[in-house]
Amino acid sequence: MSTLQPDWRKRFSQLRAVVTIEMRRYFFTRQALAIYLLALAPVVIIGLHAITSPLGRHCNIAEDTEILAGIIQLFYVHLGIFFGCLILFTWLFRGEIVQRSLHYYLLAPLRREIIVLGKFIAGAVTTSIIFCVAVSLSFIFMYGHFGPKGQQFVFDGPGLHHLGAYLVITVLACFGYGAIFLALSLIFRNPVIPGAFFFGWETISSVLPATLQKFSITFYLKNLAPVELSGKGLLSVFTVVAQPVSEFIAIPGFFLFIGLALYFACWRMRTIEISYAKD
Amino acid sequence: MAIYKRLYRPYAGRYTGHRFRFWVITKSALRTLFDSRFLLAFFVACNIPFVIFLLIIYITNNAAAQALLQMKGSPILIDNFFFLRYLIFQSTLSFLITAWVGPGLVSVDLSNDALPLYLARPLTRTEYLLGKFGVIFMLTSAITWVPGLMLLGLESSLGPIGWFQRYYWLFGSMFIGSLLWIAVIGLLSLTLSAWVKWRIVATGAMLGIFFALAGFGEALNQVLRTNWGHVLNLGYDINLAWFNLFRMDSVTGPYNKPAIGRLMELPSWAGWVSLSLLCAFCLLMLNKKLKAREVVR
Repeated sequence: MSTLQPDWRKRFSQLRAVVTIEMRRYFFTRQALAIYLLALAPVVIIGLHAITSPLGRHCNIAEDTEILAGIIQLFYVHLGIFFGCLILFTWLFRGEIVQRSLHYYLLAPLRREIIVLGKFIAGAVTTSIIFCVAVSLSFIFMYGHFGPKGQQFVFDGPGLHHLGAYLVITVLACFGYGAIFLALSLIFRNPVIPGAFFFGWETISSVLPATLQKFSITFYLKNLAPVELSGKGLLSVFTVVAQPVSEFIAIPGFFLFIGLALYFACWRMRTIEISYAKD
Repeated sequence: MAIYKRLYRPYAGRYTGHRFRFWVITKSALRTLFDSRFLLAFFVACNIPFVIFLLIIYITNNAAAQALLQMKGSPILIDNFFFLRYLIFQSTLSFLITAWVGPGLVSVDLSNDALPLYLARPLTRTEYLLGKFGVIFMLTSAITWVPGLMLLGLESSLGPIGWFQRYYWLFGSMFIGSLLWIAVIGLLSLTLSAWVKWRIVATGAMLGIFFALAGFGEALNQVLRTNWGHVLNLGYDINLAWFNLFRMDSVTGPYNKPAIGRLMELPSWAGWVSLSLLCAFCLLMLNKKLKAREVVR
């Protein structure tokens, strides 16, 4: 009877092995270069701003706080992390198929669900680390150049709370987009095209009815943002303000969303057959 | 085993003229592409807006149709802004088609080392590139300027007296505006296809260049308090060029605000220059990559 019981310790060690192997690969690939570029581009601009405006000569903290909120909520969450995850997570399985190496994993004596979870965790941790470092650097440059005033804002004011919220948003975005793209890559041969439609959905989600907004990643992340952005542009005219949800609902709701996507990916992986010639 | 003597037998069929050899590549690629039913369906769906615009023009200019629909005159004004909206709409669809088709055009030949096989034949590198570009040109032309000129022709014939004399230049604007867009997206997708080995990555890079670069430009504008970050936004650049071509300065938007006002942050030459630089860069990169050579490992 004991042989039918799942050996969780063995499965956990297998999962850890997959995560370690994969993480080593993701940090130093060509695809990672694009992710570094996406993550660090705003850091360079903010660094330039810090150099050209020492001690806040041409700016003030309130204005820069709103700009940083815009960069994190619009650039990082909507574009940088989105495309970073699109690059990395669609490559987790499609890349192995293109490079004709997926069968090595499939021939190894481990459950396919462990391969999916291991690859997902490795990808999510990699993107989270890269983007969290970038967000932290952006934050440091944005307030560092104000000198004592900036220090006061960070340590005696709401600064650290803002940083914490931004890091939580970044990590959740990496996990959320990652799960979606991982699932898409197991359905479509070229998952980038459905990814483009998903991008369109995320972009217009704010103008959709409140019920439909709950089927987007940005809806949950928006509720966690410490600074509310003032609406600008055409979409703001049609924006439907949905009932905000508390952190205690947003975060578990978000993980439920991720769990469903991963469950689907595991289910799909169980029946997947690879034909390198076809792909 | 029987061994048959095989002698050289030259090709006995009809030769394609020197000038149109690139067409062989285009024709064969198009045939392969349209084997996909999904692409065919999407391509047909791309022309639905054309039918809608056609109906709008017909109803606007036909009193009997208006009476039948119980309309008191048409609420839609058919002017340069109408045709610009058509071009903007169709160019979005043509971008999707190019993002789908373009990245796979050259990468397949490069990853399978098939380029020397092409260039060993009486075909120059320019003709090879022209053949591949022809695929994108044919697909996107069929949904941008060809139906656009048909709409203009219809409006010229059905529209009020003097419409053609007032807007005859729109034929040129529609044609040049579409060609500019096709050149930008076509060259960009071919460059990515040549430099990025895998189709998935090339498609992702194409979307990334359009959207992430626009976001980066906007961040640049906000942080450095400038407007020049817009030049990184290819959509903004093409709009600058189109607004210039469609003479949008003369059209007023809602609440009597000039429609051009939204884009007045940069002069129109900035759009033309950045698009030209992008095309030149793409050609340079293609010239560097598309060489018949064998890599011996």
